[in-house]
Amino acid sequence: MKFVAIIRQVPDSESRLKIDGGKVDLSGATLILDQMDEYAVEEVIRLQEKHGGESVIVALGPERFEEAVRTALAMGTDRAVHLVQEGYLDPISQAQALAEVLREEAPDVVITGGQQADWDSQALGPAVAEALGWPVVAWTTALELEDGKAKAKHDLDEGAEVVRVGLPAVFTTQQGLNEPRYPTLPGIMKAKRKELKKVPVSAASKVEVLEQTIQERTRLNKVLDGTKDPQGAASELVRLLHEEAKVI
Amino acid sequence: MILVVLEHDGARLRKGALEAVTRARQLSALGAVSGVVIGENLGAVAEEARRYVGTVYVAEVGGYTAEKWAAAAYAAAQKAGARVVIATGGRQSRSWSAKLAYKLGAALLEDTLETSTDGSRVVATRYSFLNRVTEKQAAGLPVVITAKPNTTPLAEPQGEGSVESLSVEAPAAQVEVLERVVEQKKGVSLTEATVVVTGGRGLGSPEAFAGVEQLADLLGGAVGATRAVVDAGWRPYGEQVGQTGKTVQPGAYIALAVSGAVQHQAGMNKSKYIVAVNKDAEAPIFKIADYGIVGDVHQVLPALLEAAKKLKD
Repeated sequence: MKFVAIIRQVPDSESRLKIDGGKVDLSGATLILDQMDEYAVEEVIRLQEKHGGESVIVALGPERFEEAVRTALAMGTDRAVHLVQEGYLDPISQAQALAEVLREEAPDVVITGGQQADWDSQALGPAVAEALGWPVVAWTTALELEDGKAKAKHDLDEGAEVVRVGLPAVFTTQQGLNEPRYPTLPGIMKAKRKELKKVPVSAASKVEVLEQTIQERTRLNKVLDGTKDPQGAASELVRLLHEEAKVI
Repeated sequence: MILVVLEHDGARLRKGALEAVTRARQLSALGAVSGVVIGENLGAVAEEARRYVGTVYVAEVGGYTAEKWAAAAYAAAQKAGARVVIATGGRQSRSWSAKLAYKLGAALLEDTLETSTDGSRVVATRYSFLNRVTEKQAAGLPVVITAKPNTTPLAEPQGEGSVESLSVEAPAAQVEVLERVVEQKKGVSLTEATVVVTGGRGLGSPEAFAGVEQLADLLGGAVGATRAVVDAGWRPYGEQVGQTGKTVQPGAYIALAVSGAVQHQAGMNKSKYIVAVNKDAEAPIFKIADYGIVGDVHQVLPALLEAAKKLKD
Protein backbone atom coordinates (compact mmCIF):
# COMPACT_ATOMS: atom_id res chain seq x y z
CA MET A 1 0.00 0.00 0.00
CA LYS A 2 1.05 3.59 -0.42
CA PHE A 3 0.59 6.35 2.12
CA VAL A 4 1.12 10.07 1.43
CA ALA A 5 1.41 12.96 3.88
CA ILE A 6 1.06 16.49 2.54
CA ILE A 7 3.04 18.96 4.62
CA ARG A 8 3.83 22.66 5.00
CA GLN A 9 6.62 24.58 6.62
CA VAL A 10 5.37 27.29 8.98
CA PRO A 11 6.77 29.70 11.57
CA ASP A 12 7.04 28.28 15.07
CA SER A 13 4.18 29.58 17.20
CA GLU A 14 6.62 31.04 19.73
CA SER A 15 8.46 32.89 16.97
CA ARG A 16 7.95 36.66 16.72
CA LEU A 17 6.45 37.77 13.43
CA LYS A 18 7.26 41.04 11.72
CA ILE A 19 5.70 42.94 8.86
CA ASP A 20 7.71 44.42 6.03
CA GLY A 21 6.12 46.37 3.18
CA GLY A 22 2.62 45.25 4.18
CA LYS A 23 3.47 41.54 4.20
CA VAL A 24 4.64 39.08 6.83
CA ASP A 25 8.41 38.83 6.75
CA LEU A 26 9.59 35.39 7.86
CA SER A 27 13.31 36.12 7.70
CA GLY A 28 14.59 35.56 11.21
CA ALA A 29 11.60 33.46 12.26
CA THR A 30 12.16 29.84 13.28
CA LEU A 31 10.52 27.68 10.62
CA ILE A 32 9.26 24.20 11.43
CA LEU A 33 7.26 21.32 10.02
CA ASP A 34 3.67 22.31 10.81
CA GLN A 35 2.52 20.61 14.02
CA MET A 36 -0.80 19.46 12.56
CA ASP A 37 1.05 18.09 9.52
CA GLU A 38 3.44 16.32 11.90
CA TYR A 39 0.52 14.10 12.96
CA ALA A 40 0.06 13.26 9.27
CA VAL A 41 3.72 12.26 8.90
CA GLU A 42 3.57 10.11 12.03
CA GLU A 43 0.37 8.44 10.86
CA VAL A 44 1.71 7.46 7.42
CA ILE A 45 4.77 5.95 9.11
CA ARG A 46 2.56 3.95 11.49
CA LEU A 47 0.34 2.78 8.62
CA GLN A 48 3.43 1.65 6.72
CA GLU A 49 4.80 -0.15 9.79
CA LYS A 50 1.51 -2.00 10.14
CA HIS A 51 0.53 -2.66 6.54
CA GLY A 52 3.82 -2.45 4.61
CA GLY A 53 4.33 -0.55 1.38
CA GLU A 54 5.63 2.95 1.00
CA SER A 55 5.34 6.29 2.80
CA VAL A 56 5.76 9.44 0.71
CA ILE A 57 5.92 13.15 1.59
CA VAL A 58 4.37 15.65 -0.78
CA ALA A 59 4.80 19.41 -0.30
CA LEU A 60 3.90 22.48 -2.30
CA GLY A 61 5.74 25.65 -1.39
CA PRO A 62 8.88 27.70 -1.77
CA GLU A 63 12.45 26.32 -1.84
CA ARG A 64 12.76 26.83 1.93
CA PHE A 65 10.18 24.03 2.51
CA GLU A 66 13.00 21.55 1.85
CA GLU A 67 14.07 21.74 5.49
CA ALA A 68 10.61 20.64 6.69
CA VAL A 69 10.54 17.92 4.01
CA ARG A 70 13.89 16.62 5.32
CA THR A 71 12.48 16.60 8.85
CA ALA A 72 9.56 14.48 7.65
CA LEU A 73 12.01 12.12 5.91
CA ALA A 74 14.13 11.97 9.06
CA MET A 75 11.08 10.87 11.04
CA GLY A 76 11.07 7.77 8.83
CA THR A 77 9.21 8.30 5.57
CA ASP A 78 10.71 6.87 2.37
CA ARG A 79 10.90 9.67 -0.19
CA ALA A 80 9.46 13.05 -1.09
CA VAL A 81 8.05 15.10 -3.94
CA HIS A 82 8.39 18.87 -3.54
CA LEU A 83 6.38 21.08 -5.87
CA VAL A 84 8.36 24.29 -5.82
CA GLN A 85 6.51 27.57 -6.13
CA GLU A 86 7.53 30.87 -4.57
CA GLY A 87 4.84 33.28 -3.45
CA TYR A 88 1.28 32.81 -2.21
CA LEU A 89 -0.95 30.16 -3.73
CA ASP A 90 -4.40 29.66 -2.22
CA PRO A 91 -5.41 26.20 -0.96
CA ILE A 92 -7.95 25.54 -3.74
CA SER A 93 -5.33 26.23 -6.43
CA GLN A 94 -2.82 24.15 -4.46
CA ALA A 95 -5.27 21.26 -4.40
CA GLN A 96 -5.42 21.33 -8.17
CA ALA A 97 -1.63 21.20 -8.52
CA LEU A 98 -1.28 18.54 -5.80
CA ALA A 99 -3.99 16.37 -7.34
CA GLU A 100 -1.92 15.96 -10.50
CA VAL A 101 0.97 14.52 -8.53
CA LEU A 102 -1.29 12.41 -6.34
CA ARG A 103 -3.08 10.90 -9.32
CA GLU A 104 0.30 9.79 -10.61
CA GLU A 105 1.42 8.48 -7.21
CA ALA A 106 -1.92 6.67 -6.77
CA PRO A 107 -1.73 6.26 -2.98
CA ASP A 108 -4.32 4.45 -0.86
CA VAL A 109 -4.33 7.06 1.88
CA VAL A 110 -3.53 10.79 1.87
CA ILE A 111 -3.24 12.66 5.17
CA THR A 112 -2.66 16.35 5.85
CA GLY A 113 -3.06 18.75 8.76
CA GLY A 114 -6.53 19.86 9.85
CA GLN A 115 -5.29 23.44 9.73
CA GLN A 116 -1.81 24.78 9.16
CA ALA A 117 -0.26 27.51 11.29
CA ASP A 118 0.61 29.94 8.49
CA TRP A 119 -2.57 30.39 6.47
CA ASP A 120 -4.98 29.22 9.23
CA SER A 121 -6.83 27.39 6.46
CA GLN A 122 -8.75 24.12 6.85
CA ALA A 123 -9.41 23.79 3.12
CA LEU A 124 -6.47 21.85 1.74
CA GLY A 125 -7.52 18.28 2.65
CA PRO A 126 -11.16 18.61 1.54
CA ALA A 127 -10.16 20.42 -1.67
CA VAL A 128 -7.58 17.75 -2.54
CA ALA A 129 -10.23 15.07 -1.97
CA GLU A 130 -12.65 16.91 -4.23
CA ALA A 131 -10.01 17.31 -6.94
CA LEU A 132 -9.39 13.56 -6.84
CA GLY A 133 -13.04 12.53 -6.40
CA TRP A 134 -12.13 10.71 -3.18
CA PRO A 135 -13.96 10.87 0.16
CA VAL A 136 -12.59 13.10 2.93
CA VAL A 137 -12.62 12.63 6.68
CA ALA A 138 -11.73 15.88 8.46
CA TRP A 139 -10.30 16.25 11.99
CA THR A 140 -9.43 12.59 12.38
CA THR A 141 -8.59 11.35 15.90
CA ALA A 142 -8.32 7.62 15.15
CA LEU A 143 -7.64 5.72 11.94
CA GLU A 144 -7.38 2.03 11.10
CA LEU A 145 -7.47 0.07 7.87
CA GLU A 146 -9.39 -3.16 7.47
CA ASP A 147 -10.46 -5.13 4.38
CA GLY A 148 -9.46 -2.42 1.95
CA LYS A 149 -11.48 0.19 3.82
CA ALA A 150 -10.70 2.74 6.49
CA LYS A 151 -12.50 3.14 9.78
CA ALA A 152 -11.95 6.53 11.33
CA LYS A 153 -13.17 8.65 14.22
CA HIS A 154 -13.35 12.36 13.58
CA ASP A 155 -14.59 15.58 15.19
CA LEU A 156 -17.69 17.44 14.05
CA ASP A 157 -18.85 20.92 15.06
CA GLU A 158 -20.34 19.34 18.16
CA GLY A 159 -19.27 15.85 19.12
CA ALA A 160 -17.66 13.23 16.92
CA GLU A 161 -18.51 10.27 14.73
CA VAL A 162 -17.07 7.01 13.54
CA VAL A 163 -17.15 6.52 9.78
CA ARG A 164 -16.12 3.94 7.21
CA VAL A 165 -14.81 4.98 3.81
CA GLY A 166 -13.52 3.10 0.81
CA LEU A 167 -9.94 3.69 -0.28
CA PRO A 168 -8.36 5.76 -1.65
CA ALA A 169 -9.40 8.51 0.74
CA VAL A 170 -8.13 11.75 2.24
CA PHE A 171 -7.89 12.43 5.98
CA THR A 172 -7.07 15.58 7.89
CA THR A 173 -5.52 15.40 11.33
CA GLN A 174 -6.67 16.42 14.76
CA GLN A 175 -4.70 16.44 17.97
CA GLY A 176 -5.02 13.05 19.63
CA LEU A 177 -4.49 11.09 16.41
CA ASN A 178 -1.02 10.03 17.59
CA GLU A 179 2.13 11.23 19.34
CA PRO A 180 4.62 12.21 16.63
CA ARG A 181 8.10 10.75 17.07
CA TYR A 182 11.25 12.85 17.10
CA PRO A 183 13.72 12.33 14.29
CA THR A 184 16.71 10.31 15.54
CA LEU A 185 20.30 11.14 14.64
CA PRO A 186 20.61 8.11 12.31
CA GLY A 187 17.24 9.11 10.88
CA ILE A 188 18.53 12.60 10.13
CA MET A 189 21.68 11.19 8.50
CA LYS A 190 19.65 8.78 6.38
CA ALA A 191 17.18 11.51 5.37
CA LYS A 192 19.97 13.38 3.60
CA ARG A 193 20.31 10.54 1.12
CA LYS A 194 16.62 9.85 0.59
CA GLU A 195 15.03 10.71 -2.74
CA LEU A 196 13.62 14.24 -2.89
CA LYS A 197 12.20 15.05 -6.28
CA LYS A 198 11.65 18.72 -7.02
CA VAL A 199 9.07 19.76 -9.58
CA PRO A 200 8.72 23.44 -10.47
CA VAL A 201 5.12 24.67 -10.66
CA SER A 202 3.76 28.06 -11.65
CA ALA A 203 0.06 27.97 -10.84
CA ALA A 204 -2.01 31.15 -10.69
CA SER A 205 -3.61 31.97 -7.35
CA LYS A 206 -7.36 32.53 -7.28
CA VAL A 207 -6.94 34.67 -4.18
CA GLU A 208 -4.69 37.68 -3.85
CA VAL A 209 -3.29 38.71 -0.47
CA LEU A 210 -3.46 42.50 -0.52
CA GLU A 211 -2.05 43.34 2.87
CA GLN A 212 -1.03 41.79 6.15
CA THR A 213 -0.86 43.66 9.43
CA ILE A 214 -0.29 42.79 13.05
CA GLN A 215 -2.92 44.48 15.14
CA GLU A 216 -2.35 43.86 18.77
CA ARG A 217 -5.30 45.00 20.75
CA THR A 218 -4.42 47.32 23.57
CA ARG A 219 -5.55 45.59 26.70
CA LEU A 220 -6.67 47.39 29.85
CA ASN A 221 -4.52 45.27 32.19
CA LYS A 222 -6.60 46.07 35.28
CA VAL A 223 -5.42 43.37 37.62
CA LEU A 224 -6.79 43.09 41.15
CA ASP A 225 -5.20 41.42 44.15
CA GLY A 226 -7.32 38.49 45.24
CA THR A 227 -4.87 36.90 47.62
CA LYS A 228 -6.08 38.66 50.78
CA ASP A 229 -9.72 39.41 50.02
CA PRO A 230 -11.02 37.12 47.27
CA GLN A 231 -14.66 38.19 47.91
CA GLY A 232 -13.82 41.87 47.55
CA ALA A 233 -11.79 41.29 44.37
CA ALA A 234 -14.52 39.11 42.86
CA SER A 235 -17.27 41.69 43.55
CA GLU A 236 -15.12 44.43 42.06
CA LEU A 237 -14.39 42.31 38.95
CA VAL A 238 -18.07 41.54 38.42
CA ARG A 239 -18.88 45.25 38.87
CA LEU A 240 -16.25 46.23 36.27
CA LEU A 241 -17.53 43.66 33.76
CA HIS A 242 -21.09 44.81 34.29
CA GLU A 243 -20.70 48.58 34.53
CA GLU A 244 -17.50 49.39 32.66
CA ALA A 245 -17.13 46.68 29.99
CA LYS A 246 -20.89 46.01 29.89
CA VAL A 247 -20.33 42.42 28.83
CA ILE A 248 -22.21 40.63 31.61
CA MET B 1 -27.21 35.93 -7.53
CA ILE B 2 -25.94 35.23 -4.01
CA LEU B 3 -26.67 31.93 -2.27
CA VAL B 4 -26.59 31.61 1.52
CA VAL B 5 -26.22 28.14 2.98
CA LEU B 6 -28.34 28.47 6.10
CA GLU B 7 -27.01 26.44 9.01
CA HIS B 8 -29.57 25.03 11.44
CA ASP B 9 -29.89 22.60 14.32
CA GLY B 10 -32.80 20.68 12.80
CA ALA B 11 -35.43 22.86 14.45
CA ARG B 12 -34.22 26.44 14.04
CA LEU B 13 -31.74 28.45 12.03
CA ARG B 14 -28.47 28.96 13.84
CA LYS B 15 -27.28 32.43 14.78
CA GLY B 16 -24.54 31.96 12.20
CA ALA B 17 -27.13 31.60 9.44
CA LEU B 18 -28.47 35.04 10.25
CA GLU B 19 -24.94 36.44 10.25
CA ALA B 20 -24.42 34.91 6.81
CA VAL B 21 -27.64 36.55 5.55
CA THR B 22 -26.32 39.93 6.72
CA ARG B 23 -23.08 39.27 4.86
CA ALA B 24 -25.05 38.45 1.70
CA ARG B 25 -27.11 41.64 1.98
CA GLN B 26 -23.89 43.64 2.37
CA LEU B 27 -22.81 42.26 -1.03
CA SER B 28 -26.14 43.03 -2.73
CA ALA B 29 -24.27 44.80 -5.56
CA LEU B 30 -23.51 41.25 -6.73
CA GLY B 31 -27.16 40.15 -6.90
CA ALA B 32 -30.30 39.16 -5.04
CA VAL B 33 -30.11 36.77 -2.10
CA SER B 34 -31.46 33.23 -2.08
CA GLY B 35 -30.79 30.46 0.41
CA VAL B 36 -30.52 26.73 0.81
CA VAL B 37 -31.20 24.51 3.82
CA ILE B 38 -29.55 21.10 3.83
CA GLY B 39 -30.29 18.05 5.98
CA GLU B 40 -33.38 16.05 6.91
CA ASN B 41 -36.93 16.96 8.01
CA LEU B 42 -36.41 20.53 6.90
CA GLY B 43 -40.01 21.76 6.97
CA ALA B 44 -39.66 24.01 10.01
CA VAL B 45 -36.29 25.52 9.11
CA ALA B 46 -37.42 26.15 5.53
CA GLU B 47 -40.44 28.08 6.90
CA GLU B 48 -38.16 30.17 9.07
CA ALA B 49 -35.64 30.65 6.26
CA ARG B 50 -38.15 32.11 3.81
CA ARG B 51 -38.48 35.16 6.04
CA TYR B 52 -34.88 36.06 5.26
CA VAL B 53 -34.26 35.26 1.58
CA GLY B 54 -36.06 35.43 -1.77
CA THR B 55 -36.05 31.73 -2.55
CA VAL B 56 -35.27 28.88 -0.17
CA TYR B 57 -34.03 25.69 -1.80
CA VAL B 58 -34.67 22.65 0.35
CA ALA B 59 -32.17 19.82 0.00
CA GLU B 60 -33.31 16.72 1.88
CA VAL B 61 -30.12 14.66 1.77
CA GLY B 62 -30.17 12.98 5.20
CA GLY B 63 -27.42 13.15 7.82
CA TYR B 64 -24.21 15.11 7.46
CA THR B 65 -21.27 14.21 5.31
CA ALA B 66 -19.03 16.83 3.69
CA GLU B 67 -19.70 15.16 0.32
CA LYS B 68 -23.49 15.46 0.58
CA TRP B 69 -23.38 19.04 1.84
CA ALA B 70 -21.02 20.11 -0.95
CA ALA B 71 -23.20 18.37 -3.54
CA ALA B 72 -26.37 20.03 -2.20
CA ALA B 73 -24.81 23.50 -2.05
CA TYR B 74 -23.47 22.97 -5.56
CA ALA B 75 -26.90 21.96 -6.88
CA ALA B 76 -28.48 25.02 -5.22
CA ALA B 77 -25.81 27.34 -6.60
CA GLN B 78 -26.38 25.95 -10.11
CA LYS B 79 -30.16 26.27 -9.80
CA ALA B 80 -29.95 29.82 -8.44
CA GLY B 81 -27.24 30.82 -10.89
CA ALA B 82 -25.24 32.01 -7.90
CA ARG B 83 -21.73 33.35 -8.41
CA VAL B 84 -21.33 34.00 -4.70
CA VAL B 85 -21.99 31.40 -1.97
CA ILE B 86 -21.84 32.33 1.71
CA ALA B 87 -21.89 30.10 4.81
CA THR B 88 -20.84 30.36 8.44
CA GLY B 89 -17.43 29.02 9.26
CA GLY B 90 -17.79 26.07 11.61
CA ARG B 91 -15.53 23.04 11.35
CA GLN B 92 -18.00 21.19 9.10
CA SER B 93 -18.77 24.09 6.81
CA ARG B 94 -15.08 24.77 6.38
CA SER B 95 -14.74 21.20 5.07
CA TRP B 96 -17.60 21.14 2.58
CA SER B 97 -17.11 24.76 1.47
CA ALA B 98 -13.61 23.87 0.26
CA LYS B 99 -15.07 21.04 -1.80
CA LEU B 100 -17.77 23.36 -3.09
CA ALA B 101 -15.21 25.99 -4.14
CA TYR B 102 -13.33 23.34 -6.08
CA LYS B 103 -16.51 22.11 -7.79
CA LEU B 104 -17.48 25.64 -8.79
CA GLY B 105 -13.96 26.55 -9.90
CA ALA B 106 -14.37 29.34 -7.36
CA ALA B 107 -12.00 31.18 -5.08
CA LEU B 108 -12.42 30.49 -1.38
CA LEU B 109 -12.39 33.29 1.18
CA GLU B 110 -12.24 31.39 4.42
CA ASP B 111 -13.25 32.32 7.96
CA THR B 112 -13.68 35.98 7.06
CA LEU B 113 -14.27 38.80 9.54
CA GLU B 114 -15.84 41.16 7.03
CA THR B 115 -16.48 41.22 3.31
CA SER B 116 -17.17 44.00 0.80
CA THR B 117 -17.33 44.38 -2.95
CA ASP B 118 -16.59 46.95 -5.62
CA GLY B 119 -19.06 45.19 -7.92
CA SER B 120 -16.55 42.82 -9.50
CA ARG B 121 -14.27 41.52 -6.76
CA VAL B 122 -14.85 40.60 -3.14
CA VAL B 123 -12.41 41.91 -0.56
CA ALA B 124 -12.27 40.16 2.80
CA THR B 125 -10.32 40.42 6.02
CA ARG B 126 -9.36 37.36 8.02
CA TYR B 127 -6.80 36.22 10.54
CA SER B 128 -3.80 34.12 9.68
CA PHE B 129 -0.61 32.88 11.37
CA LEU B 130 -2.48 31.46 14.36
CA ASN B 131 -4.74 34.47 14.69
CA ARG B 132 -1.78 36.82 15.01
CA VAL B 133 -1.94 38.51 11.61
CA THR B 134 -4.87 40.34 10.02
CA GLU B 135 -4.89 39.72 6.31
CA LYS B 136 -6.79 41.47 3.54
CA GLN B 137 -7.60 39.18 0.60
CA ALA B 138 -9.30 39.77 -2.73
CA ALA B 139 -10.88 37.39 -5.22
CA GLY B 140 -12.92 37.60 -8.40
CA LEU B 141 -16.15 35.66 -9.02
CA PRO B 142 -17.21 32.94 -8.61
CA VAL B 143 -16.37 32.98 -4.93
CA VAL B 144 -17.25 30.91 -1.86
CA ILE B 145 -17.12 32.78 1.44
CA THR B 146 -17.22 31.44 4.98
CA ALA B 147 -17.97 33.96 7.70
CA LYS B 148 -16.35 33.64 11.10
CA PRO B 149 -19.03 33.23 13.78
CA ASN B 150 -19.72 36.22 16.05
CA THR B 151 -18.44 38.81 13.57
CA THR B 152 -21.62 40.12 11.96
CA PRO B 153 -24.95 41.56 13.17
CA LEU B 154 -27.87 39.14 12.87
CA ALA B 155 -30.19 39.76 9.91
CA GLU B 156 -33.77 40.88 10.47
CA PRO B 157 -36.57 39.07 8.63
CA GLN B 158 -37.40 40.69 5.31
CA GLY B 159 -40.40 39.67 3.19
CA GLU B 160 -41.78 36.25 2.39
CA GLY B 161 -39.68 34.10 0.13
CA SER B 162 -40.75 31.06 -1.83
CA VAL B 163 -39.77 27.49 -0.97
CA GLU B 164 -38.55 25.11 -3.65
CA SER B 165 -37.40 21.54 -3.19
CA LEU B 166 -34.10 20.65 -4.74
CA SER B 167 -32.99 17.33 -6.12
CA VAL B 168 -29.38 16.53 -5.37
CA GLU B 169 -27.34 13.93 -7.17
CA ALA B 170 -25.75 11.52 -4.72
CA PRO B 171 -21.99 12.12 -4.57
CA ALA B 172 -19.72 9.42 -5.98
CA ALA B 173 -17.44 9.47 -2.95
CA GLN B 174 -19.37 7.97 -0.04
CA VAL B 175 -18.79 8.16 3.66
CA GLU B 176 -20.70 5.66 5.79
CA VAL B 177 -21.48 6.88 9.28
CA LEU B 178 -21.25 4.00 11.78
CA GLU B 179 -21.77 5.86 15.02
CA ARG B 180 -22.35 9.42 16.09
CA VAL B 181 -21.17 10.62 19.47
CA VAL B 182 -23.14 13.76 20.09
CA GLU B 183 -21.96 15.77 23.04
CA GLN B 184 -25.08 16.60 24.96
CA LYS B 185 -24.62 20.26 25.50
CA LYS B 186 -27.04 22.53 27.16
CA GLY B 187 -27.01 26.20 26.32
CA VAL B 188 -25.15 28.03 23.61
CA SER B 189 -22.42 26.62 21.40
CA LEU B 190 -18.86 27.58 22.15
CA THR B 191 -18.15 29.46 18.94
CA GLU B 192 -21.40 31.42 19.08
CA ALA B 193 -21.35 32.27 22.78
CA THR B 194 -20.98 35.90 23.86
CA VAL B 195 -19.37 34.78 27.12
CA VAL B 196 -16.88 31.92 27.35
CA VAL B 197 -15.62 30.62 30.70
CA THR B 198 -12.52 28.48 30.26
CA GLY B 199 -10.86 26.33 32.88
CA GLY B 200 -7.20 25.35 32.88
CA ARG B 201 -5.10 22.68 34.49
CA GLY B 202 -4.72 24.88 37.57
CA LEU B 203 -8.25 23.94 38.61
CA GLY B 204 -6.71 20.72 39.83
CA SER B 205 -9.48 18.22 39.05
CA PRO B 206 -12.36 17.50 36.68
CA GLU B 207 -14.75 18.03 39.62
CA ALA B 208 -13.64 21.64 39.90
CA PHE B 209 -15.27 22.26 36.51
CA ALA B 210 -18.66 22.22 38.22
CA GLY B 211 -17.90 25.80 39.28
CA VAL B 212 -16.83 26.70 35.74
CA GLU B 213 -20.12 25.33 34.40
CA GLN B 214 -22.10 27.23 37.01
CA LEU B 215 -20.41 30.50 36.13
CA ALA B 216 -20.98 29.91 32.42
CA ASP B 217 -24.66 29.13 33.11
CA LEU B 218 -25.10 32.23 35.24
CA LEU B 219 -23.63 34.44 32.53
CA GLY B 220 -25.44 32.71 29.66
CA GLY B 221 -22.13 31.51 28.28
CA ALA B 222 -20.35 28.35 27.21
CA VAL B 223 -17.57 26.32 28.86
CA GLY B 224 -14.13 26.16 27.28
CA ALA B 225 -11.08 24.10 28.17
CA THR B 226 -7.34 24.20 27.55
CA ARG B 227 -5.42 21.50 25.74
CA ALA B 228 -3.87 20.25 28.98
CA VAL B 229 -7.32 19.74 30.47
CA VAL B 230 -8.60 17.92 27.39
CA ASP B 231 -5.47 15.77 27.14
CA ALA B 232 -5.96 14.81 30.79
CA GLY B 233 -9.44 13.59 29.86
CA TRP B 234 -11.21 16.05 32.15
CA ARG B 235 -13.24 17.66 29.37
CA PRO B 236 -14.22 16.68 25.78
CA TYR B 237 -12.29 17.87 22.71
CA GLY B 238 -15.34 19.84 21.63
CA GLU B 239 -14.64 22.35 24.39
CA GLN B 240 -11.00 22.91 23.57
CA VAL B 241 -9.98 26.45 22.71
CA GLY B 242 -6.70 27.05 20.93
CA GLN B 243 -4.55 26.19 17.93
CA THR B 244 -5.88 22.65 17.59
CA GLY B 245 -9.27 23.37 19.12
CA LYS B 246 -11.81 26.05 18.44
CA THR B 247 -11.27 29.73 17.81
CA VAL B 248 -13.60 32.00 19.73
CA GLN B 249 -14.04 35.73 20.00
CA PRO B 250 -16.76 36.38 22.56
CA GLY B 251 -17.54 39.67 24.27
CA ALA B 252 -15.99 38.32 27.45
CA TYR B 253 -13.46 35.49 27.67
CA ILE B 254 -12.98 34.44 31.28
CA ALA B 255 -9.87 32.30 31.76
CA LEU B 256 -9.72 30.52 35.11
CA ALA B 257 -6.37 29.02 36.10
CA VAL B 258 -5.20 29.22 32.48
CA SER B 259 -1.55 30.20 32.03
CA GLY B 260 -2.09 31.42 28.47
CA ALA B 261 0.41 29.61 26.23
CA VAL B 262 0.73 30.99 22.69
CA GLN B 263 -1.16 27.96 21.35
CA HIS B 264 -4.07 28.77 23.63
CA GLN B 265 -3.95 32.46 22.74
CA ALA B 266 -4.34 31.50 19.07
CA GLY B 267 -7.90 30.45 19.89
CA MET B 268 -9.01 33.44 21.97
CA ASN B 269 -6.76 36.47 21.54
CA LYS B 270 -9.35 38.37 19.50
CA SER B 271 -11.95 38.29 22.27
CA LYS B 272 -13.38 41.71 23.05
CA TYR B 273 -12.53 41.53 26.74
CA ILE B 274 -10.19 39.01 28.29
CA VAL B 275 -10.50 38.25 31.99
CA ALA B 276 -7.94 36.16 33.85
CA VAL B 277 -7.80 34.55 37.25
CA ASN B 278 -4.48 32.98 38.12
CA LYS B 279 -2.35 32.60 41.19
CA ASP B 280 0.80 33.42 39.23
CA ALA B 281 0.97 37.16 38.59
CA GLU B 282 3.61 36.47 35.92
CA ALA B 283 1.38 34.13 33.87
CA PRO B 284 1.35 35.15 30.16
CA ILE B 285 -2.45 35.41 30.24
CA PHE B 286 -2.21 38.63 32.29
CA LYS B 287 -0.26 40.32 29.48
CA ILE B 288 -3.30 40.08 27.22
CA ALA B 289 -5.94 40.50 29.93
CA ASP B 290 -8.24 43.49 30.29
CA TYR B 291 -9.29 42.49 33.79
CA GLY B 292 -7.83 40.02 36.16
CA ILE B 293 -7.47 38.74 39.67
CA VAL B 294 -4.25 37.37 41.05
CA GLY B 295 -5.33 34.73 43.50
CA ASP B 296 -6.19 31.12 44.17
CA VAL B 297 -8.92 30.02 41.79
CA HIS B 298 -10.42 27.80 44.50
CA GLN B 299 -11.13 30.92 46.54
CA VAL B 300 -11.83 33.36 43.72
CA LEU B 301 -14.23 31.18 41.69
CA PRO B 302 -16.74 30.65 44.55
CA ALA B 303 -16.55 34.39 45.25
CA LEU B 304 -17.18 35.13 41.57
CA LEU B 305 -20.18 32.81 41.57
CA GLU B 306 -21.59 34.59 44.58
CA ALA B 307 -21.03 38.04 43.07
CA ALA B 308 -22.51 36.96 39.72
CA LYS B 309 -25.58 35.51 41.47
CA LYS B 310 -26.09 38.79 43.31
CA LEU B 311 -25.86 40.67 40.02
CA LYS B 312 -28.47 38.46 38.38
CA ASP B 313 -30.93 38.69 41.30
